[in-house]
Amino acid sequence: MFGLPLSFAFPWLLVALVSLPIIWWLLRLTPPRPRDEPFPPTRILARLVRRDETPAKSPWWLTLLRLTMAALVIAAMAGPVWKPVEPVATGDGVVALVMDDGWASGPGWEDRRRTALRLVDEAEAAGLAMVLITTAGGDAQNTAPASPRAVRERLTGMENRPIRPDHAIAAELLRRVDGEATIGSVFWLSDGIGRTGTPDLAAALNGFDADVTLYLADGNRLAAINHATNDPDAMIGEIARVQTDKPATFVITGIDEQGRPVARQTISMVAREKSADFRFDEPVEVRNDITRIVVDAADNAGAVRLLDDNARRRLVGLISGEKHDNSQPLLSPLYYISRALQPFADIRRADDANVAAAVPELLALGVSALVLADIGTVAEEAEGLLAEWVSAGGMLVRFAGPRLAAAPDNDLLPVRIRLGDRAIGGALSWDQPRPVAPFETTSPFYGLEPPQEVTVSRQVLALQEAGLAERTWATLDDGTPLVTAAKRGAGWIVLFHVSSDATWSNLPISGTFVEMLRRVVSQSQLRSGASAADGPQSLPPLRLLDGRGRLGPPGIDAKPLVLASEAVRASADNPPGYYGTEDGLVALNLFDGDAELDPLQPDVLGGEVRLASYLVDEPVALQPWLLFAAASLLVLDCLAVLWMAGLVRQPLRRARSAATGIAAAMLVSLLAADPAGAQEDDIDFSAALQTRLAYVVTGVREVDEVSEAGLRGLTRFLINRTALEPGEPIGVDVAVDELAFFALLYWPIHPAADMPDAATMARVDAFMKQGGSILFDTRDQVSGALGGTSVSPESLALQQLLSGLDIPPLEPVPPDHVLTKAFYLLDSFPGRYSGGDLWVEQLALDADAGERPARAGDGVSSILITSNDLAGAWAVDEQLRPLFPTVPPDALQREFAFRAGVNLMMYAMTGNYKADQVHVPALLERLGQ
Amino acid sequence: MSAAIGHIADRETGRDTLARARARAALIPDLLVEANRVANNVFTGWHGRRKRGVGENFWQFRPYVQGESMAAIDWRRSARDEQIYVRDKEWQAVHTIWLWVDESPSMLFRSNLAQVSKQSRALVLAFALAELLARSGERIGWLGVAKPVVSRNAAEKLAQALAIAPIQERLPPSRDLRSHSDLVVFSDFLGPSEETIEQMGALARRGVRGHLVRIIDPAEETFPYAGRVEFLDPESGERVRAGSAQSYRDGYTDLFAAHGLAIREAATRLGWSYTTHHTDRLASQALVAMHGNLGSVPAAHARVADPASTYRRV
Repeated sequence: MFGLPLSFAFPWLLVALVSLPIIWWLLRLTPPRPRDEPFPPTRILARLVRRDETPAKSPWWLTLLRLTMAALVIAAMAGPVWKPVEPVATGDGVVALVMDDGWASGPGWEDRRRTALRLVDEAEAAGLAMVLITTAGGDAQNTAPASPRAVRERLTGMENRPIRPDHAIAAELLRRVDGEATIGSVFWLSDGIGRTGTPDLAAALNGFDADVTLYLADGNRLAAINHATNDPDAMIGEIARVQTDKPATFVITGIDEQGRPVARQTISMVAREKSADFRFDEPVEVRNDITRIVVDAADNAGAVRLLDDNARRRLVGLISGEKHDNSQPLLSPLYYISRALQPFADIRRADDANVAAAVPELLALGVSALVLADIGTVAEEAEGLLAEWVSAGGMLVRFAGPRLAAAPDNDLLPVRIRLGDRAIGGALSWDQPRPVAPFETTSPFYGLEPPQEVTVSRQVLALQEAGLAERTWATLDDGTPLVTAAKRGAGWIVLFHVSSDATWSNLPISGTFVEMLRRVVSQSQLRSGASAADGPQSLPPLRLLDGRGRLGPPGIDAKPLVLASEAVRASADNPPGYYGTEDGLVALNLFDGDAELDPLQPDVLGGEVRLASYLVDEPVALQPWLLFAAASLLVLDCLAVLWMAGLVRQPLRRARSAATGIAAAMLVSLLAADPAGAQEDDIDFSAALQTRLAYVVTGVREVDEVSEAGLRGLTRFLINRTALEPGEPIGVDVAVDELAFFALLYWPIHPAADMPDAATMARVDAFMKQGGSILFDTRDQVSGALGGTSVSPESLALQQLLSGLDIPPLEPVPPDHVLTKAFYLLDSFPGRYSGGDLWVEQLALDADAGERPARAGDGVSSILITSNDLAGAWAVDEQLRPLFPTVPPDALQREFAFRAGVNLMMYAMTGNYKADQVHVPALLERLGQ
Repeated sequence: MSAAIGHIADRETGRDTLARARARAALIPDLLVEANRVANNVFTGWHGRRKRGVGENFWQFRPYVQGESMAAIDWRRSARDEQIYVRDKEWQAVHTIWLWVDESPSMLFRSNLAQVSKQSRALVLAFALAELLARSGERIGWLGVAKPVVSRNAAEKLAQALAIAPIQERLPPSRDLRSHSDLVVFSDFLGPSEETIEQMGALARRGVRGHLVRIIDPAEETFPYAGRVEFLDPESGERVRAGSAQSYRDGYTDLFAAHGLAIREAATRLGWSYTTHHTDRLASQALVAMHGNLGSVPAAHARVADPASTYRRV
């Protein structure tokens, strides 16, 4: 509406806007009522106040405010919707959805699916059958018209595939549909890329007597990596994008195995540019770590380039003439080579010590370079293999040594070698060990600093012959060749005239050696891991890309990758991803230099096509926002009226009273909302700051009062008699309050008290398990004590209560229990009644129990049960007079009741420390005091 | 909407004069008590006329001036030295002082800033003054209500008379006013100033010495109004609506001050005294000021200052 993506649910309500002028007129007529003030000097004032200035109407801005408010309310009532869904016309006949669900549909797939679901809704509302054809779904699709409901189910779980869609197949399927039913309308949800089969599909669509709607995607962000290779000096690749009229910038990131970005390049492409090269100039170690290259935020499988071993490090095979001697690795001829190669190459050692067997084995692995350390004679067949391999591009690196020096007559050497070796600086030599001369410009080593500290004391000598200088890569300072190399076919043979261990020269232990090897190896060519000679090899899918370019476990429909002689293209059977095993994986990419992304031209469909765009956003109902704005304006209006009435003029008192009112209201609402929470905080603070006796609030008032009075009395007693000075006792609600601050909870049992629920009992259980103790008091010794034959209601209630707890075995306090000695020496724990036992957790029997005066387990009994009504005996009034008589009335019994309370409290707070105290005399004696 | 700043005291009686009179009568005993209290506060230091005139008490000796009546010479004193002295007596002529309190509806006004209405304060002042003057033995009357009486309990008598008297909204015809009598007028003088000044002139021409006590409610002076206010004149019923009252504050206070100044200047011109009293102040303040005015010799009545009148009664 009005060119805006705005529509109204009840547009006719907007007619009410006509009433705005009336509202305006009314508003002008009825100004806010002024305040009446009797004022005797009005006559004097009247001389001042000009008649024409007394406003008989509202100020214009207030009128405007109110008019806006009215307009907002009217507009809100009309139900405006921002970015509404355009109604999709559906004619008669089957509704056919052609959906591009290939790799290019990855970006914005949700929008596509939402659009499709919207179309399904429309079809369902119109009662039409549907057919859904996906262009990447292959030709085994159901072409029978189905209910929109079935199509919706198919759509709901559908993801796009990381493969190329085939429009020709889609066209074929469409024709098949047309043979079964009449297609009324076709909706083509395209990914914006034209393909070879596109004209076919367009022709099929045009062949129907149907309305065709084409949804075009914005292909500006769509990019794919065409190819990438890890060259010796850089990683080079190319990205392709849909040829659009807009420039675009892509960020290309190289990611290592752990998912860390290690290389990044930003590529800007101008309008109508189709492809661009990218180049990672990072050091080879870094580059070799790259396992995949992605175009950031491209969200499709084509924008991910998976790299396998072939693209990464050179595979170098090592074969030594000596047997492996792991006990002395520093003397192994391969030790320094493998150490030097490790940073930039993968090393494969031959499993077989036999050179004739090792060579074919390593070559089958597809090594790029093969190092033969001090191998003089190579077996006949192995030599033939090696020669073939070298001429096919292999890099053969040989090191001298006693064996090579002894059998130099070999075809696989760059130069002819004199029999025997030359020792310099030995006992029979006049010379000193020779250093290395600077590298010639023709040498691949040129640019390296010749190592000053390296000296060569033995070497094999090349026969002087024509062309020796060209074959020499490095010399000693007397001109004798140190490294020679010869090209054989497409490959090289390189000979280090020294041994690969440190016996002939210290070159292998210098840093230069690493650099030299690196240059030698980077001269070698990358080779495919699987040689075609082995025949077709089948690799199971390992990790595959999904439609958005994410690596994941393979789906059930992925088939093993069969490596044939010709390149395999990613297909529905073989989606792009890694195949093989973790040790030897092969990457299959969507594109291999064949990415041609042409934009889909709508005119292939002829003129009879309706263009539409995908639903990007959900429609937004504006009604709540408008109403909110109107409410805000209402508040503003109130403030303005208040201000005009002069109320804001006396800000101080009013503001204060208003603030007080608001604060009070907030407090009230807070309390109303969470009274328990507020109370909890209160209790937590007071309980955490001071040790306090605590009792469980049962909800029965008289019991709680007695508990409080009793604990108050015990608190007094504790303050008077002991070093413990607790604060005022406190009642806790076990269901709400934090219990962690209390060592001992006094829990009187009353049959009428509410039974705590399971969650509460779980809290209590946790409290007991974390070291708290609970003193249950059934207060029923007279009516029917624990252990008696009759069961009192209190005992029943206690049983019911404890059934929710994890209770250890109990026993009456034994005479040697630490409770009897924790502060006072007691033999019973009377309360108001004296007959009942105090039950505690059963103590394990010690072997030396007889010798110890007091026993205590580790820690405090988490549960204590009495029936003596301790609180009743402790209970005192404000004047500290006892509230209840003891039964029988005996002042001494009350005293002992208090002492029992002290012992309980001491026991709860100090634990078995008191049990250890009884050993003090023995300890002191042992210490010689 | 907040409560109004100003109120009309006893507003329920409205304009009904009789009802208002009844309300006033009910008020009078309290006011009388209050007046007594105020008078007692002020009485310390209150004294007689303290000027020479016709009377019985000795006032001073002064040298004889050529031309004076020989009979005035005090020969006994003159015989003591060579000077001839005239014996002055203290002026003891009983003075007639008329009181009058404006009881127009505007006097019923009381704002939040003051404790009492203007009328209440005016009556207290009048009774207190009557009490004080009665103690001094003056003749006190209430214009239009009671003829002047000399009585120790003149204030009470006046109060009794006032309790049954009709409401007086305007200065009554001044038949009883004689020359050389004093008239104390308690009013807010909010009527047209020209009218007031004209009345004052007519009285002054008859030789009446006037004392104007202008009662002001603080709200009338400071104009503490803001916002949209409709002002109502309690006398005329005139309404003035101000869209934003605070914007008129400066102009109004200037005008109000000018109004007071006009009355004050007219009073000064006539030799009358002029006192302003705010109802948020203590009544005794006004009383002390009035005492000064009544006791002083206003310019219009002052005789030529006598340089020799330095001899005081010892």
